[in-house]
Amino acid sequence: MVTVTEPTATRGEASMIRRRRGGRPGRRGSRRVKAAPYLFVAPFVLVFAAFSAYPIFFALQLSFTNWHGAGALEVIGFANYRFLLTSPDFWQSMATSGALWLLVVPAQILLALTIAVALRKARFRGLFSAALIAPFVTPLVAMAQVWIILFDQDFGAVNHGLTSLGLPAVGWLTTSAWAKVTVALLVLWRTTGYAVILLMAGLSTIPSDVYEAARIDGAGAWQQFWSITVPLVTRTLSFVVVIGTLTVFQLFAEPYVVTGGGPFNGTRTAGLYLYKHITNSDLGLGAANSMLLVLMVLALSLASIRLLRSREDS
Amino acid sequence: MANPLVVPVSRRNVLRGAGAALVAGGLGACAPGNTTGSNPLPTSTATTPPSGELTIWDRTGDLYKVFDKAIASFTAKYPQVKVNHLAVDINAKLPATLISGAGVPDGAFYDDALLTGVAPHLHDLSRLIEQYKSDIAPYKLGVVTVDGKVIAVPWDLDPGLLFYREDIVTQAGVDPASLTTYDALLGAARTVREKFPQAKPIHLENDQFLAQLWIDMFANQQGGAMVDAQGKLSIDSDPYRKTLTWLDTVRGEGLGTLAKYTQPTDLQTQDNGTQVFVPWAQWFAFVPQQLLKASKGKWRAAALPAWQAGGPRAGVMGGSSFVIPAKAKNPELAWRLYEHLVFSKEGYTTVYGSNEVYPGGLNTSIPSYLPALDPNAPLFKPIEALGGQDLWKVAVEAGKQVPGGYSIPTWWGKAVDYFGVNVQKLLAGQMGPDEVLKTSATQIQKNLMGPS
Repeated sequence: MVTVTEPTATRGEASMIRRRRGGRPGRRGSRRVKAAPYLFVAPFVLVFAAFSAYPIFFALQLSFTNWHGAGALEVIGFANYRFLLTSPDFWQSMATSGALWLLVVPAQILLALTIAVALRKARFRGLFSAALIAPFVTPLVAMAQVWIILFDQDFGAVNHGLTSLGLPAVGWLTTSAWAKVTVALLVLWRTTGYAVILLMAGLSTIPSDVYEAARIDGAGAWQQFWSITVPLVTRTLSFVVVIGTLTVFQLFAEPYVVTGGGPFNGTRTAGLYLYKHITNSDLGLGAANSMLLVLMVLALSLASIRLLRSREDS
Repeated sequence: MANPLVVPVSRRNVLRGAGAALVAGGLGACAPGNTTGSNPLPTSTATTPPSGELTIWDRTGDLYKVFDKAIASFTAKYPQVKVNHLAVDINAKLPATLISGAGVPDGAFYDDALLTGVAPHLHDLSRLIEQYKSDIAPYKLGVVTVDGKVIAVPWDLDPGLLFYREDIVTQAGVDPASLTTYDALLGAARTVREKFPQAKPIHLENDQFLAQLWIDMFANQQGGAMVDAQGKLSIDSDPYRKTLTWLDTVRGEGLGTLAKYTQPTDLQTQDNGTQVFVPWAQWFAFVPQQLLKASKGKWRAAALPAWQAGGPRAGVMGGSSFVIPAKAKNPELAWRLYEHLVFSKEGYTTVYGSNEVYPGGLNTSIPSYLPALDPNAPLFKPIEALGGQDLWKVAVEAGKQVPGGYSIPTWWGKAVDYFGVNVQKLLAGQMGPDEVLKTSATQIQKNLMGPS
């Protein structure tokens, strides 16, 4: 904060202004600051710089090198980016994440919004909220093991149910197309509750008299939902979409535990592909992959937000 | 009274101070450094009793408990040593830890197949191992040697064996002693299926990592490996072609059960008699002992069949060793511990002896230290889950036949995305043997080895 003596004020007025601003007299014309605000923000700045800013810049630097974790960095220009952008494996991992995004995010929005609206006036909301958040806080590895057993092609409960209904058994974990669905179902199961909680918070900010006025004007439940609820929770929906996009493109643990990225690399997501570079000590390639992933996620998130905002504006 | 926090400081000075603090305090530690250990290893075995504290990582699960007991034998011998023994998901954590240099253990148990990938971060143990070299199984010595340096203390040997359901084989009229070649095994599988039409007798591995490890066992048995002695890619070769052709026949004739090791389909089909023959590493013995129910006691183990009559009947699948990171704080103590566990009779008999997980002794592998491999001095007892069979004798005989001259390329783990996946495709009927080999060779050469 800079204290400047106003030239138009009298000496007494200037002194009063300084006191009001909590300032203390200094040399005329010098730019003085107080240490306190800087000291208060310093812990954040240091932590942010050490654990966010520095790693980002270091990763950017690494992305132009061939480095395996030992020895000096060997600068190789854009070779890592060229390798990735011409690699079918990279594009396959992006396509897998894209497919999972299509399977997860729209379904999650629909499900979460429906459940949140249904629970808006329900009794025992707290109980429902706790039940919904339970999959989100349950250890993933345990849940993934249950998933493996449920979706086993020959002995799983899901196929048992299907065949008892006269439907054919599905290779949930043995065909690359269905394995994506299996992973998507696990992600939906795990994260939809969190989206519901967010949307319930968003819905609680809509004044009840808006609905009351709509009812008086003769609006039905569907019209109220489409013309009041959806537009007024668009910002929350945008947030849920961005979080969903980030979740899907960073998706690692679910395919790692349930399918190991298979079958036939069919569930090797962008996150899992990136992880493999790191465990293989291909750190330059991994860093370049991260940078490309950041750009993709940023573009997809911005496009989603723009799409939702355009609806909000209209 | 003046507020001590309100001190006139120029904005530029604040920024300078923050920057300097950041660089001096935080970032210096994060910057990439070299991998030279601050504490060098001795060049030969020390004679003074060890003392101090060390941190050891072992794999979570049964082996952690096994080694916990063995480490106690070391600390009982050397009371001045304190061992912090941690159960860790080593495969996931060790590479990143070695690179970051933060929280590096003094020693860790690690998969042989992944060793070469972290080799630059490990101590060179060549001089310390020199005195034991002639007593280490040649296969194992090759695996832990990278660019002429021994980078790990060789631990176990995991010979491939043929596990089979003795009850079903007998009922089908097949003499287990006749399973001396893979052609004979194929014939036995056909016979079993004639008697039990629901049977798909031969296990086909559907996990891409394990499938690659499995195929390498068959190739190793024939003296093959992914790379030759000059380090050139040799995957498109007879040992691999013969293996894949045989597996393709098993698949084509519907004689195989495609399943992932120890996943529900695998265990159910082993218990209900669908699977009858499992050519696998010795560590499959864990399955009838710990995971199978209905078929417990009905499994037996024999030497692998040979690819040609009279040919070698052993190959290796997997295995682990002990590594000492270059950034370990106390590498000498780690070496003393591992020397005790691997090369002293007291150490290896404790590891393989009775413990709470394996009351009859650790029977999922055998030592790679040849003096320990006496067929008449078993380190573990006959196994009830194998009908009281003396697995020690079978495994030791197989272990001694394992061909040497095998080396694991640095990119072995990465090749799973190509070769492992293509093998999966073969077992699903989507690719033929030649296509798998040619495609994998091209992919590995292009993506992992660079232009030759």
